[in-house]
Amino acid sequence: MNDEQTRTRFETLLLPLMKDAYNLSRWLMKNQEDAEDMVQESYLRAYRFFGTFHEGSNCRAWFLRIVRNTCYTALGDHDLKQKQVLLDAEADEIEDTSPLPPVTLSKKATVEAVREAIAALPVDFREVVVLRELEGLSYKEISEVSGIPLGTVMSRLARARRQLYLLLSDRKQHDQL
Amino acid sequence: MNCQECHDYIDAYIDNELDIASTILVKQHLRDCFGCQQLLESRKAVGALLDNPQVRFEVPDSLLGRIQSALPVFRPEVKQQSRTRFVIPWFSIPLAFAATIAVTLGLAFLNQGGVFDRSHGSSIAQDVISSHVRSLLATHLFDVPSTDQHTVKPWFDGKLKFSPPVHDFAEHGFRLTGGRLDYLNGREVAALVYQRRLHIINLFIWPSESSRNIVATSFSKDGYNVLHWAHEGFEFWAVSDVNAEDMRAFADLELQPS
Repeated sequence: MNDEQTRTRFETLLLPLMKDAYNLSRWLMKNQEDAEDMVQESYLRAYRFFGTFHEGSNCRAWFLRIVRNTCYTALGDHDLKQKQVLLDAEADEIEDTSPLPPVTLSKKATVEAVREAIAALPVDFREVVVLRELEGLSYKEISEVSGIPLGTVMSRLARARRQLYLLLSDRKQHDQL
Repeated sequence: MNCQECHDYIDAYIDNELDIASTILVKQHLRDCFGCQQLLESRKAVGALLDNPQVRFEVPDSLLGRIQSALPVFRPEVKQQSRTRFVIPWFSIPLAFAATIAVTLGLAFLNQGGVFDRSHGSSIAQDVISSHVRSLLATHLFDVPSTDQHTVKPWFDGKLKFSPPVHDFAEHGFRLTGGRLDYLNGREVAALVYQRRLHIINLFIWPSESSRNIVATSFSKDGYNVLHWAHEGFEFWAVSDVNAEDMRAFADLELQPS
């Protein structure tokens, strides 16, 4: 395959994934400017490693893994510390099953409120929620993208959803006051 | 199954990631346990709030251009250099002529037997995919955005020499969202745009050269599913990243719109 064909093939496969790449990057970086930089950097990396992409394998998971790792590298030390705290907390599964406050979520919670709640999650939880709920990835794909085992995908998703429920129901109670 | 196990499995249960045996156990437990029913409801409530396309962030318009210009440029001068080094010996010219004629005759002969119909089909399939990708990238998905088949169909009149069949299948989960003119297989064609959840389906339509009906044939390449059929004097090419099963369902609807 010559240069021109490689470029065409790269664009055919990867440019349609820009909306997924940007959405993930925007949620991890939490601002537009960094998100755009990370998407650009991810495309350049993907182009460099395009030779390692195997025909017929899952292109979206392959590319989102690059996006995810690019963002994590940029987030750097600050978030890694936060991550450490979370890993300790993850061992503590019993507290997680305590009864939920008996409130019903407002079906009309605004898009802003939902976005704020997702943004308030620690990055590792935010990642699985975005990949599952907004990108529609399977557990196996999430595991591929984030490099965490399937069981951890499941438990993080459970904790993330529980936190979202609490955040969004708190909000509703505040709104009513 | 006890409550602790049900808590552990509830997310995989909601996400259809659980094996059948565990799914049945969770269902049985949920039937009898009010607390776990509450948990299921709370998960579903969160899911419903997140299931809104507006929660996603849209790509800023400038990003595509920025990335295309940042990618390494293909440099044609490198190729030209290598080409000039290739010297053609004088005696090979008549040989090359002879070979070309032989190959052309050979191809013409083979094509009579229809051997190349399939490769012709897959080259259209490639064009159909490229056109689909372009339509998603270029913010040129529609010329006429409308969910009303009675708006979309007349719009094509006067723009094309034929009047394509236009149907909306919103009640079956394939919503007509608009139409546009496109250029494929050397001619102007009608492109109808359908939406399946978050996915876009482009349906390209042009008149058949023969009146023969063709049953739906599928191609799959680079994560896109392409389906081709011919019916009542029209060629149909549907392309999308939705799964093959949904594409079949879509084609079935098109074949029997009533």
